[in-house]
Amino acid sequence: MADRKPPEDALSDLRRRVNAARGDGPSNDPPPQSPASLALRYGGEFGAAIIVGALLGYGVDYFVHTSPWGLIVGVVLGFAAGVVNVVRVAQSYSRSNPIDPRAPSVPDDEED
Amino acid sequence: MANDPIHQFHIEPMLEFSVAGYDASFTNASLAMVGGAVLAALFFNWAMKPAAMVPGRAQVVAEGAYGFIHGMLKDAAGTEGVKKFLPFVFTLFLFIFMSNMLGMFPGVFGIHHIFTPTSQIVVTAALALLVFFTVIIVGFAKNGLKFFKLFAPSGVPIYILWFVIIIEVISFFSRPLSHAVRLWANILAGHILLKVFAGFVPALAGLGLVGILGASLPLAMTVALYGLEFLVAFLQAYVFAILTCIYLNDALHPGH
Repeated sequence: MADRKPPEDALSDLRRRVNAARGDGPSNDPPPQSPASLALRYGGEFGAAIIVGALLGYGVDYFVHTSPWGLIVGVVLGFAAGVVNVVRVAQSYSRSNPIDPRAPSVPDDEED
Repeated sequence: MANDPIHQFHIEPMLEFSVAGYDASFTNASLAMVGGAVLAALFFNWAMKPAAMVPGRAQVVAEGAYGFIHGMLKDAAGTEGVKKFLPFVFTLFLFIFMSNMLGMFPGVFGIHHIFTPTSQIVVTAALALLVFFTVIIVGFAKNGLKFFKLFAPSGVPIYILWFVIIIEVISFFSRPLSHAVRLWANILAGHILLKVFAGFVPALAGLGLVGILGASLPLAMTVALYGLEFLVAFLQAYVFAILTCIYLNDALHPGH
């Protein structure tokens, strides 16, 4: 027992090893997203923007008496906002799930 | 009807009273929400009572949950976000998680089924709007008019900026909607699916021997779905919390 370290050293040594094992990255792995929940996410973001766009357009119609032009423009703008939402979700998804560079390339069936 | 899959969402008043002409009865939904909040508080109080250096099992669960949300908020909104919003996000997560989990019990203590508060869009919409208005209020309080930068990404040419701003505003207002609907739709669909499959079991079993053999299929499906629903209960609480973190980050750093 001669080589036994004093307790403070042992504790700081343990802390160092725990920190090394944990690493500095994200402290917790998020649960993997199932394809179904991802699909629901895309659909939800897209649909929500359309509904909100339509409601805003309808509100403009109601107050400015421009029916039906506010609704029409609102729905179209809602579609655009929905696409923006979906692109944003897809971007954040591919940022958190980068393509494995060692993955084998899949041959496509295009003739070129 | 005995196995009506929608019956579980009926709201039944338990204590009837009204405030200023509005029905404000204490219903089975209110009871389930109070139950979720009280359970979360009681569990953490009990688990952290020893506050031991070497944690016991309950303390590991409590500290693990805390560390999980802490890490998530730190990744999404930085140290500043943790300092300001950890109690808020942690409370939201625990409340939703406990409500979902309570809803997984078919019934205890003579209550013939436990209501799932998160299967009502009123509840999830109230939570989502709470986050939405928190973002707006904190955003303006902290950044002042610079908060409007959220709607005008830098580097956009001036002649197209007005269009981008309209799109961004619609996108911003669509957040509470998709935020609320995601939790609500998942829980609602899961609970209906469970009840539908469970309803097949007695219906088939009433048909004699072949029916009993056939009833084992939906029974196995119900058991499997129950496992899946426990995952969904956790996952949707997690998704709600992480979206809250992302939105709160916008309030602190609106410049993208």
